[in-house]
Amino acid sequence: MSASFDVAVIGGGVNGMVAAATLAKAGKRVVVLERSDAIGGQGRIGEFAPGFRADPLGHDAGWLPPPVSRELGLSGLERVVPEVTVSVPVPDGRLALSRELSSAAAAIRRFSPKDADRWVGFCTRLAKLSGFLEALYVLPAPDIDSSSLADLLPLLGVARKLRGLGKVDMVELLRTVPMSVQELLDDWFDCDPLKAAIGASGVSNIRQGPRSGGTAFVLLHHHVGAAIGAIRGRGYWKAGPDALNRAVAAAAARFGVTVRLDAEVQHITVKDDRVTGVVLSTGEEITVATVISGADPARTLLGMVDPVWFDPEFLLAVRNIKFRGNTARVLYALDRLPDSLQGMTGVLSLAGTLDQLERSYDDAKYGRCSEFPCVELQLPSLRWEGMAPAGKHVAVAQVHSAPYRLREGAWDVARKSGLEARVTASINHAVPGFGDAVRHVEVLTPVDLEARYG
Amino acid sequence: MKRYDAVVVGGGHNGLVTAAYLARAGRKTLVLERRPLVGGAAVTEEIFPGFKFSVFSYVVSLLRPEIIRDLELPRHGLQILPLESTVVPLDNGDYLGSWADPDQTRRELARHSPKDAEAAVLFGRLMHHMAMAVRPILSMVPPDPTSMSPGDLKGLLKFGGHFRSLGAERFHALHKLMTMSSADYLDEWFEFDPLKATKSASGIIGTFLGPRSPGTAYVLLHHYMGEIDGAFRAWGFQKGGTGAISETISRAAQALGAEIRTNAAVEQVIVKNGRATGVALASGEEISAPVVVSCLDPRRTFLQLVDPKEMPGEVIEAIGRFKFRGSSGKVNLALSELPDLTCLPGVGPHHRGSISISPGLDYLERAYDDAKYGEFSQHPYMDVIIPSMIDPGMAPPGKHVMSCFVQYAPYNVNGGWTDAKREAFGDSVVNTLARYAPNIKSAIIGRQVLTPDDIERTTGLTEGNIFAGELALHQLFFFRPIPGWANYRTPIKGYWQCGAGTHPGGGVMGASGRLAALEIIKSGAA
Repeated sequence: MSASFDVAVIGGGVNGMVAAATLAKAGKRVVVLERSDAIGGQGRIGEFAPGFRADPLGHDAGWLPPPVSRELGLSGLERVVPEVTVSVPVPDGRLALSRELSSAAAAIRRFSPKDADRWVGFCTRLAKLSGFLEALYVLPAPDIDSSSLADLLPLLGVARKLRGLGKVDMVELLRTVPMSVQELLDDWFDCDPLKAAIGASGVSNIRQGPRSGGTAFVLLHHHVGAAIGAIRGRGYWKAGPDALNRAVAAAAARFGVTVRLDAEVQHITVKDDRVTGVVLSTGEEITVATVISGADPARTLLGMVDPVWFDPEFLLAVRNIKFRGNTARVLYALDRLPDSLQGMTGVLSLAGTLDQLERSYDDAKYGRCSEFPCVELQLPSLRWEGMAPAGKHVAVAQVHSAPYRLREGAWDVARKSGLEARVTASINHAVPGFGDAVRHVEVLTPVDLEARYG
Repeated sequence: MKRYDAVVVGGGHNGLVTAAYLARAGRKTLVLERRPLVGGAAVTEEIFPGFKFSVFSYVVSLLRPEIIRDLELPRHGLQILPLESTVVPLDNGDYLGSWADPDQTRRELARHSPKDAEAAVLFGRLMHHMAMAVRPILSMVPPDPTSMSPGDLKGLLKFGGHFRSLGAERFHALHKLMTMSSADYLDEWFEFDPLKATKSASGIIGTFLGPRSPGTAYVLLHHYMGEIDGAFRAWGFQKGGTGAISETISRAAQALGAEIRTNAAVEQVIVKNGRATGVALASGEEISAPVVVSCLDPRRTFLQLVDPKEMPGEVIEAIGRFKFRGSSGKVNLALSELPDLTCLPGVGPHHRGSISISPGLDYLERAYDDAKYGEFSQHPYMDVIIPSMIDPGMAPPGKHVMSCFVQYAPYNVNGGWTDAKREAFGDSVVNTLARYAPNIKSAIIGRQVLTPDDIERTTGLTEGNIFAGELALHQLFFFRPIPGWANYRTPIKGYWQCGAGTHPGGGVMGASGRLAALEIIKSGAA
């Protein structure tokens, strides 16, 4: 029985660790309770075949709000943005989008001179609009019910920033957010592979197709923090896929956060409408006045707290939050690197048209795993040392439209191997010799991801 | 050359409303209609001898009550007969009904799902409140969000304040409605799939979206705003068909002093030194007026009626991006006898309501899938009514007219709309109907099939979009038709817009026409 903490943080994912470190810096006594044997949550690296390691969920380094880095004094976070951030197969090779505006425009010119001419304009607009989101994301979500001045100030800040964009960009932002990514790209470009290369980002990790409203926003969201022209190019951490975890863990340690591994919180105890502490699966009780959960809302509010403490409307609202995992990961241990993948530190997106993405979403919509899944391939072993034995390689395939819940039944061995076969076949189609180089495969469906990461 | 205070181009119902309000304010007003009859997409025509059809728009509920009052429409013949029920035939041979009596509806629903029967009561209440909350916006001239003018800032604050006054719970519900798909939204409430399907169907009407696409929940709400005599969510049918509404407004306008000329196609709006000075007709005749109001859709208003060089480049580009994407067709049938539904044999009250072909969410979504890839739906969503059961004057004694609103039929169908394609589309409609009413094929005496291409050709609505532009979130309120020009003005002085391509748009509502007229009067332009 320990009563020496002010705050308990459930889960040692990046957000939990940042919260813990920030509070510890402010003088609170903080304990982080992590259910697995390592912190890092979704950013953990695992060995999936002898000598082969991958961080299955690490797709890009993402956006790190500058204030977080500044306030916690995070170090060792140098980003590498590949020269070619994304490429898509075309009948006679690939369309490679370089982060250099002029080289990308030159590559596009081969398909459409008109699109090449519009490239700089598009990239500038994209950077401006995502830049606005970036400014928005560091503000706390305003409480619209409140009439206190303190709560209204952020709202005014948002309004001021919005108007500060200037007339043209402001209108574009308001117009773009509810649109579908396909409509947005159709406004700009003719070239299908180009639209597919950009548009895949708009349907990344959600159960929507490129024609669904709101996917233009998802595109902007994934470009917060990216340099102008770097399509899907927020890069990766030079120090390794888990660099951010390590930096945050070091900061937490420096500010005196206590981290307990293998400490699974069973429930949050409440008395008289107030949190009184947490109970671990071992039965141990920890008394604290403040609990912060890094677990998702359903797990936290429906799983850890006795429902009697919530209004029925609140519970209903939580139950209505959509999760709907829709992407699978396939990890490949490769004996050798096929020629066409040499030097590919960016993303290879295999969907050559938006219609391909749309059709694979059609399958997911009806609870089927797509017959022709859209795959994005990355090679962690080209980015970092030590991910694979010498001369060997690791490839991670992100598979769109693999629904969490299949209508025909559970994700069993046969369905998983069916998915594996289709994914491998489609990679092999675009990357000759890929299939022959595969030594070992691991398939992680949304169900596996849930089991592994909570 | 004849002189007027204002000329309205196009005698659609919005143009007629504008003219009536202008005349009511003492302005000498002329309406010019290209076709031999007024109404635009709200017309009644005798397509087969003795059989009269509301050719395009076929039901009414959104017509603004203030217009009915201001123009004294009942005195000029407005008489709306309620459509009281909806029946959805199901694939298992059963049906789902919704009746005039709410208790009967609740019991019917409980037969399929007791849980949904309870939820439906709460859902109806919430949607009622939401529609009430959004309703004042229908009567608001959209402010320009980028403008620094005191008037626009005041409008924006009023707009913002309006949402804040909703309170937290309703604000969140509204936020969901504005951003979610109708299927997701309904999933939060209901379990019985055909119920979700038939409710979500109103979220897809006139859009090129499926029920699972975000943004459709708003369209759902838009259709909940209908009211007849103050009763929400009631749809009705005008005696004599939808065209009779246009004639009613036309009579009201004339009684107030407006002139209406049919068979008078406007070729061009005359612009001198950046000012509209009148119109030139196809016949060569010129009519002079300091105010010209276009009731046509935004593409025609901005790009065709005036010389594009009179418009700023960014306006031309913005109008070029305005989405029409007509997605619905209409099939009008003359019948020798009533359709005999397998699920409800014989003649019954369901024949006086709407028959909705929407047996499941997947059914609707698959109908959309066909259209996405450029085909009409093999098994389309349909809203079917039999006007002759409500107003016997629509068909010869013992015979009937049946109106089928059909979705999806994409304007840009693969290979283009040909006569053969149109007939194939008509066949898919009849075959789908025959699944639920097998006698339909032998009962058909006459069949009129209207594709978006036909709708465009007849009414002038670009790409056949029945709302004069998609009701998508990025085309609503201060975006309708384009940002900066949502206040019924255009970059050309004296040239105004009043059609459904402006806020609030869509449906036989008249709100665009009224707001445009009030702005013109307020500005002192006419």
